Amino acid sequence: MTVFVCGQEVEEIWCGIYDAWMSRLGHENVRIEPEGRDRELFCEYREVAAEEWKAEKVTKSIRKKLSEELYEVVYRAALSEDADRADKIYRFLIYAFAMGTNVMDQLQIPAVYEVFRMTRYLSREYSHVIEFARFSRMEEGVLLSRIKPKNDVLVLVSMHFADRLSGENWILYDCKRKKAAVHQADRGWIIVRADSAQWQERLNKKTDEETYEGLWRTFHKAIAITQRTNLKCQQNMLPLRFRPYMTEFNKV
Amino acid sequence: MLIQEEMDIQEKLRILSDAAKYDVSCSSSGVARKGKKGTIGNTLAAGICHSFAADGRCISLLKILFTNQCIHDCRYCINRRSNDVVRTRFTPEEVCTLTIEFYRRNYIEGLFLSSGILHSPDYTMEQIYETLYRLRNEYHFNGYVHVKAIPGADPGLVERVGFLTDRMSVNLELPTAEGLRRLAPGKTREKILMPMRQIQRGIAAQNLRALSDSKGSGGNVRRHLQDSSQTGRNFQNQWWDHQRQSAGTLDIRNRPSAGKREIGMADTIAHPGRNVWTSFQSQNRRFFVPAGQSTQIIVGATPESDYHMIRVAEALYQNYDLKRVFYSAFVRVNDDSLLPELPGGPPLLREHRLYQADWLLRFYGFGAEELLSEEKPNFNILLDPKCDWALRHLEWFPVEVNRADYGTLLRVPGLGVKSARRILAARKSAALDFPDLKKLGVVLKRAMYFLTCSGKMMVPVRMDENFITSQLIGVEHGKVWDIENHDSYRQLSLFDDCQVTALVSREDTVSALTGTL
Repeated sequence: MTVFVCGQEVEEIWCGIYDAWMSRLGHENVRIEPEGRDRELFCEYREVAAEEWKAEKVTKSIRKKLSEELYEVVYRAALSEDADRADKIYRFLIYAFAMGTNVMDQLQIPAVYEVFRMTRYLSREYSHVIEFARFSRMEEGVLLSRIKPKNDVLVLVSMHFADRLSGENWILYDCKRKKAAVHQADRGWIIVRADSAQWQERLNKKTDEETYEGLWRTFHKAIAITQRTNLKCQQNMLPLRFRPYMTEFNKV
Repeated sequence: MLIQEEMDIQEKLRILSDAAKYDVSCSSSGVARKGKKGTIGNTLAAGICHSFAADGRCISLLKILFTNQCIHDCRYCINRRSNDVVRTRFTPEEVCTLTIEFYRRNYIEGLFLSSGILHSPDYTMEQIYETLYRLRNEYHFNGYVHVKAIPGADPGLVERVGFLTDRMSVNLELPTAEGLRRLAPGKTREKILMPMRQIQRGIAAQNLRALSDSKGSGGNVRRHLQDSSQTGRNFQNQWWDHQRQSAGTLDIRNRPSAGKREIGMADTIAHPGRNVWTSFQSQNRRFFVPAGQSTQIIVGATPESDYHMIRVAEALYQNYDLKRVFYSAFVRVNDDSLLPELPGGPPLLREHRLYQADWLLRFYGFGAEELLSEEKPNFNILLDPKCDWALRHLEWFPVEVNRADYGTLLRVPGLGVKSARRILAARKSAALDFPDLKKLGVVLKRAMYFLTCSGKMMVPVRMDENFITSQLIGVEHGKVWDIENHDSYRQLSLFDDCQVTALVSREDTVSALTGTL
């Protein structure tokens, strides 16, 4: 067994898949693993060098030989929190290239089901994040939102808000991965690493929000019908892990 | 009545959202509109819920009344004329600012604006129109808006509002004209249905215009409409033909309205997962009520049965092309002798069953007559309507997963629109087995009694109504009985009703003790 060790970013995963595939060792003789795993006996370990041309070749062949839809599926799978996603995408692509574009219909195949499961989880979390993300206005008029998703949905969420709040300056900060999407009004957005001290200082600046946050809390409280109180249902629909970042659940 | 206009905005918001909360509709779905430069907001076809209140209901729109002042004296309503509550009203600017500022912070998906009747229906509708006009044209709001059409308002005003909003609704409130007369003396059935009909006609006229317009999105729309009406109809026909052939006894009157409506009209009933209105979007034209209209019925304020309710809902879907009928469990807010006492709180289970049945009407090709009848006018408390129907029609089951058509699959409890579609797609390449079904999202704890995979059931099951009922009820109560360790016989326990008719003999006792049979 030859194990290809690659990083966790999307491009690094493409590179891992490229190296494993092009090693010509046979699909059953290779495996892709993330860095930092315990090493096994009787395995040869190879580090994957992340290079742009490899990633480009992989994405290009998926988009050309399969379809744009399938590229979107594997791209989303690559954003998943599953530690073995690189290997799972690899197994999936073997089937996809053999069976063609409607491979996603065949959920009875374990490799396909795994990718389906990952993307379904990711899509659900994505819709939760676009529902529950809350912005607050910083002094210079910039809207700031903190999110802490399990899957790496920052790119997808930013696309949503870029369309919705195109005329605003906003920052979406992912607390788990310490990166941020920064959007400039009517221009566009980029993703930046935000782990420096300067960033932290900037993110901790006070926001000037008492009026609207207060109004929103008032509304949230008034709209509930007391005779129908059902906290269990509320929790099913709005899991606790999102609440620390939501205005209406923060005590003043 | 004194209307307090000089009030703190926070207090106004508290009063006017508290007064609006009995309106159920909070959906922001039905229209997909991209963001536009210079405006704020977009909409998604599926809608977005932004928060959930302590009662578990979603909050997607800023749901407020324009004013809680009202000239009517409806018995069930907290804002009725004879109630002594603080009355206030928003100004159009206040509503616009609140909407925009909340929207910007991603608190809400848009605005839901309802109102008590201030002075006259026309005056109220004018205020709503002014608010929406400013919101769209001065504040450049491009998100979702849902407004109430005020019964009795000038049709011209209703139409103008219709071009600014996404969804419009008129509340039917009570399912019968008689109930309305008793509890809402200021309203009549005709007055409520008039704007509903107007909105329906407006939408239909727009559809036809789009059909005759062959350029641009028109072609799209036509394809969409033809496509949707055909699939909807074919699927219904198939199912009913199938039933008639096999049964030979079925009454043709029971058949849902397939074929009754004209071709080209949006056929939204029994047509899963597709949306006609979304295709009406373009960047430079506004459309008339693009997300369709909805209404609301109060459950439990008057003595109507469930059968009556879903008949009304079905009629509304068929005759008024409504997008949704909402059901609102009656909450007794006024102490009034004409209102029923509800010692157990609002009839929430009943509301839940009605919603389940509503989905069966809209997405599963069921007719109201199939689910309930004059003889059996209320839903089963222990079983959902689909299970209940299936148990009364065991002659159609079990269904073979690898061969049954879409309409038949949809009738199986535990299978929904998504899983039925996945089955259709997946079985093209391979025969499916039960573990595969689980992956496709089928709820096997219900579906296992009604399905075969390649001719085999998951476990040997006796096709017996009592047996399956007790199993399903067991499931519903969370008492999972491990059926795989037993064969198809029912486990005895001291307390269940096994319908044992024979007396226990001495031999039975001995064999039970020693374990020999």
